[in-house]
Amino acid sequence: MSPLQELFTKRVVLMTGKGGVGRSSMTAALATLAQRKGVRVLICDIGDDPTDYSPLARHFGRDRLPPSAELVAPGIKGVVLLARSGQELFLKSVLRSGTLARAALSSDALRRLLSAGPSFKEMGVFFQLLTLLRATQSDKQPLHQLVLIDMPATGHTLSLTGLPELLLRLVPRGPIAAALREGQSYLNDPKLGSAWVVTLPETLPVSECLELLEGLQRTGMPTGGVLVNRVPVDPFSAGEREALQSALERINPLGAEGFRRPVLARREIARLRAGTKLPLFEVPELPHSAALIPGLATSLEGQGRTP
Amino acid sequence: MTNELVRIGELVRKRKVIVCCGAGGVGKTTTAAALSLAAARAGRRVLVLTIDPSRRLAETLGVSRNPPTPVAVPADRQIAAGIRAPASLDAWMLDPKLVADESVRRLTKTPEDAERVLSNRIYQQVSSMVAGMHEYTAMEALYRLVHEGQYDLVVLDTPPSRHALDFLEAPRRLSGLVDSSALQAFLPRRDSLVGRAASKVIEKILGAVFGDEFAHELVSFMMTFSGIFSALNVDVNSMRKFLSGPDVAFLLVTSPAPATLAEAHFFQDKTKELGLPFRGFVLNRSRARNTSKRWPDESSLENLAPEAKAALPRLQAMAQGELEAAKRDLALLTELEQRAGNTATAIAVPELPEGADDMITLLTIADALAAS
Repeated sequence: MSPLQELFTKRVVLMTGKGGVGRSSMTAALATLAQRKGVRVLICDIGDDPTDYSPLARHFGRDRLPPSAELVAPGIKGVVLLARSGQELFLKSVLRSGTLARAALSSDALRRLLSAGPSFKEMGVFFQLLTLLRATQSDKQPLHQLVLIDMPATGHTLSLTGLPELLLRLVPRGPIAAALREGQSYLNDPKLGSAWVVTLPETLPVSECLELLEGLQRTGMPTGGVLVNRVPVDPFSAGEREALQSALERINPLGAEGFRRPVLARREIARLRAGTKLPLFEVPELPHSAALIPGLATSLEGQGRTP
Repeated sequence: MTNELVRIGELVRKRKVIVCCGAGGVGKTTTAAALSLAAARAGRRVLVLTIDPSRRLAETLGVSRNPPTPVAVPADRQIAAGIRAPASLDAWMLDPKLVADESVRRLTKTPEDAERVLSNRIYQQVSSMVAGMHEYTAMEALYRLVHEGQYDLVVLDTPPSRHALDFLEAPRRLSGLVDSSALQAFLPRRDSLVGRAASKVIEKILGAVFGDEFAHELVSFMMTFSGIFSALNVDVNSMRKFLSGPDVAFLLVTSPAPATLAEAHFFQDKTKELGLPFRGFVLNRSRARNTSKRWPDESSLENLAPEAKAALPRLQAMAQGELEAAKRDLALLTELEQRAGNTATAIAVPELPEGADDMITLLTIADALAAS
């Protein structure tokens, strides 16, 4: 099975990478591909506030993803993971008494503690994710076969994946520990979870991608592969490059930058390959249009067939 | 406000604080480093303050990552960069944990008090995960360093976040928590029947969620933490006031993308609402300079090898694409300039295909910014 086909057998996939590399486009493209393969896919991003602007939702013609899972495109569901929703779910599940849960949720002091207390935000997001992973259909099959998460920034990724280990050291018993262990059973099991890194074929993004992979390794999160986005298409043969090279250096005309870009991209992709053993997929640069996401999905689909 | 046109070069030479805001991946850290170099080259004592910097940038500046205090860029690099004493360039790549420890030591009354907090296992594990801690750390360091007077200019590269101004709001959340009245609710109370009943309920909730033992530990941690940061409320407000002052300039660092204008609009409104001195847009990765380039005329292409000639139509298609991108970026810059009005400015920094974290490129950007 190719690494991309394998991705569609997972329960939870974290899409990571620095800002501006096209992480949301890749998340949307993978969701589109999953849907084409008949996988019940759920896309998520992590919000601080229900009114947050979501780049992922933009690909589905919305400003933000809905607060509870619903269809955002044919065969694709979406939801925004909010610390607050997860904390409420958690309190309700732990405090079986309805009165106590209501008292807890209406307490101003508790609300403040939850919004600023150490790692409580991450814990809320984590618990909402766990709830989505647990949900089943009437036939006992998972309601969301594949949960794809557009992770907001490098730091957040590491704090979510490193969270169970960190908190279990503090709270080894009780309901939080149980939830953390259950979450870990998805995230840290290479059969069920993996993290993918999105990057660009440029100097800084490649360096940052290699750093991020190191960080993920430390948290015990299995890594699936790297998606290199916006790889410039090279329309010239090696012979043509050689024939044009010196003339372009001499006159440096319009078009010379475009001529050099594929060479730089190849150099950076080679550096990436030297730095990681993970499977690497190159996605061509496509124009911004309504056809962008289906186009990216088709390109990935083509590469996914070759094991 | 004077009617003089705002210029980045002026800000670099005269302001005490420049805050670089922007979403991740737009070259914010690079811009902050270039602004600092420009100021130091103009004779000032400068510090660049950053969280989560790239490894290569740290290497370029020759400083280690996450030291406990600011460090000087090595003398040979300062000389190579054209920085002459008494001008200087320091860099501090903040480690939130180290700075939090430092704050604890400074704010506690006795070394024993400090030790008690620092050795608390909750503090050790998760102090840097208290929401707003990174942001508070950066603001606190900025405020303190500016007031110590060791630097003429501090350039702050704000922590990466989805919204450019999150770092200003985050410390408020933190101060909302340490506002002791919120935490009082978690302590056993004996003052009134109602108070006792309320704290009984909360005790029960915390016990059920965390387990009795850990709940107790957590509350005592939060109390200690809040005791230390009780001065925080004052600090957050005085920091805000300081950031609104005439010595400060806020810049939005951005790059050409479909959402750039919307982001610029949002940022400008938000700074206005918060009373912060917005002074300009830095549009990175602009391809606008390509508008001055031409497709060569026939005569200069006559001597090409046949193979090269056959490839020319494809090169010309690339040139056409570059010209269109250049026109788009130029139009974007013009819009940003109009939006800036006469209390702010907009400047484009050209796209650098090789990346921008080597010294020569940084100096080129620094000079372009200083001359603007």
